[in-house]
Amino acid sequence: MLKINNLHVTVGGGNIINGLNLQIPAGEVHAVMGPNGSGKSTLSYTVAGRAGYEATSGSVTLDGENILDLTPDERAAKGLFLSFQHPMEIPGVQTMSFIRTALNAQRKARGEGGISAADFIRLVREKAKLVGLDDAKIKRPFNVGFSGGEKKRMEMLQMAIFEPHFAVMDETDSGLDIDALKMVGDVVNNLRGPQRGFLVITHYQRLLEYIKPDAVHVLAAGKIVKSGGPDLARALEKSGYEQFIEAA
Amino acid sequence: MAGSLFINPTAFEAGLQAAFTARSTTSEGQAAAFERFAHLRFPNRRVEGWKWSDFNAALRARALANDEADDIAIAPSAFAALAPLEFRVVDGKIELPAEEMPDGLRYGIMDPVATIPELETHPIATLNVAMTRKALAIEVKEGASFARPILIRHINTGAGFGFAQTMLRISAKAKASVIETYEGVGAGLYSHLLHMVVRDGADFTRTVVQETGPETIINAIAAVKMEEAARFAQTGLSTGGKLSRHETHLHFWAPDSSATINSAALVSGVRHSDFTSEVLHIAPACKARQLHKGVARDKARNVFQGKFHVKRKAQKTDARMTANALLLSDTAEANHKPELQIYADDVECAHGSTSGALDADALFYLRQRGLDENQARALLIEAFVGEVIDNVEDDGIRGVLAARVSNWLAAS
Repeated sequence: MLKINNLHVTVGGGNIINGLNLQIPAGEVHAVMGPNGSGKSTLSYTVAGRAGYEATSGSVTLDGENILDLTPDERAAKGLFLSFQHPMEIPGVQTMSFIRTALNAQRKARGEGGISAADFIRLVREKAKLVGLDDAKIKRPFNVGFSGGEKKRMEMLQMAIFEPHFAVMDETDSGLDIDALKMVGDVVNNLRGPQRGFLVITHYQRLLEYIKPDAVHVLAAGKIVKSGGPDLARALEKSGYEQFIEAA
Repeated sequence: MAGSLFINPTAFEAGLQAAFTARSTTSEGQAAAFERFAHLRFPNRRVEGWKWSDFNAALRARALANDEADDIAIAPSAFAALAPLEFRVVDGKIELPAEEMPDGLRYGIMDPVATIPELETHPIATLNVAMTRKALAIEVKEGASFARPILIRHINTGAGFGFAQTMLRISAKAKASVIETYEGVGAGLYSHLLHMVVRDGADFTRTVVQETGPETIINAIAAVKMEEAARFAQTGLSTGGKLSRHETHLHFWAPDSSATINSAALVSGVRHSDFTSEVLHIAPACKARQLHKGVARDKARNVFQGKFHVKRKAQKTDARMTANALLLSDTAEANHKPELQIYADDVECAHGSTSGALDADALFYLRQRGLDENQARALLIEAFVGEVIDNVEDDGIRGVLAARVSNWLAAS
């Protein structure tokens, strides 16, 4: 499904990702853990196609297609979703109308028909209940006046609505309480299936209590320095990242 | 009048004088006003209040063609769906509605005002006083209110000039909504002077939409007198004209009144929009709110000049002004001059001004969700001016304004 091969990325002239290799087969959830500054967010932005994150060599393929030359919206239309570490507040943009515009843009790019307003409202209501956002919240301008936790719920709402083919979750757990972590786990576990993949970026093992990963990778100094099963996350919780920083 | 009243007149000024001299119906007041104008001349950038909007430079090279409009086909108004009571002023010529007048409303055609004291040094207002042939007068009677808005369409077509005046009286406890549109592709000067009073306890809404052609030079002035416990809510939207300047001169004469003066300008190409206002607080306990949003792309320019002038007796004044500019290209410009002049000590007054480009983080966010670049940019621009549009109370008017913004985005 998602294959990253010998990826090198510079940001503002600095080398952040240095020969990263990662393969996430369809149907699997992989966690990437790593210390501050190891390149976790750079990895997520590069996969999503943010300007300024320049892949100088290597490839990122989704279902065999190199996506590095695609615009962010073209990648979104392929079913790539990024749950942002720091979701934006966008004053003046109505939440419902934005999400519907986005959903229809993705569907149109895939040659599918648009969703009717009535069907969309039903869909949003159903998913909003799942992520714990009430009606008043989704009628507000996008994320305006939301707490950090509510913004993460809004990310999960969109993920639940878009049902992406592949999702990158960049520290979705940061700033969340236990109930919200459980909600994130529910959203991911509901979506898990043989045709979907997830890359879950996190500092801590805690989220992985709710989302059981198929593999755990340690990212340090811009490359994967160790890979293993779920036990690796628990081991890291005890030993910390220091050994990897030194090794890298 | 023998000889030129101007020293070294431009072609346009000479044409104006020829047109004025040829008239048989001018009053003494108008002759005096024309003489004053010949002394004042079209303002240029050396005049402080006009430093960013140089009417002299814009008009200097223009030749004056015919003054009168040919018969032209006039398309239905963008506001037609609101079933407004429609007046037309075509190149300054007034056309009254054919239908029967609703109760509580009086209108007719009158001689223009001979002078407006607060605008005596205003060059274009002075010229307007000299040149306007007839004024449209509308009175909303005491306690009256209408479900339908009043629509005044200013349509300018020729290459010469159009001068118009409107006198508006909103009587005590009356409620009215007036929409003014500026339309047409005339390549000359269009000048409108609205002279109005909002009486005790009256509630008045004014909507101004300026969508003239790329060669039009336009100055629309509103002089508003607020009496006690009256309410004034104005929304301006400007997307047209080569050079447009909308002015609001609002005076609080009696206490406990409020005014909202909001505006949005969206300009492209080499268009130039100017929203200038002065709110004079003479009486205590009045409230003013002002929000301007200016969007400029290409080599276009947005000017905002807002002034709150609070006299010594105007204690408990509550006045706030915000101007935000969005620049969509490196060559677009925004010029803001927010001003507070305060002589009372127990007041709450504030102003703020910002300018910037579209937020790259927000653009990336929207595109990650599937919007292409144009969709994402349009959504953010709509959101930026949305604060002005969303503030419009009437659903119908708000809907038309939002559609005008979408039109602009689709066209540019």
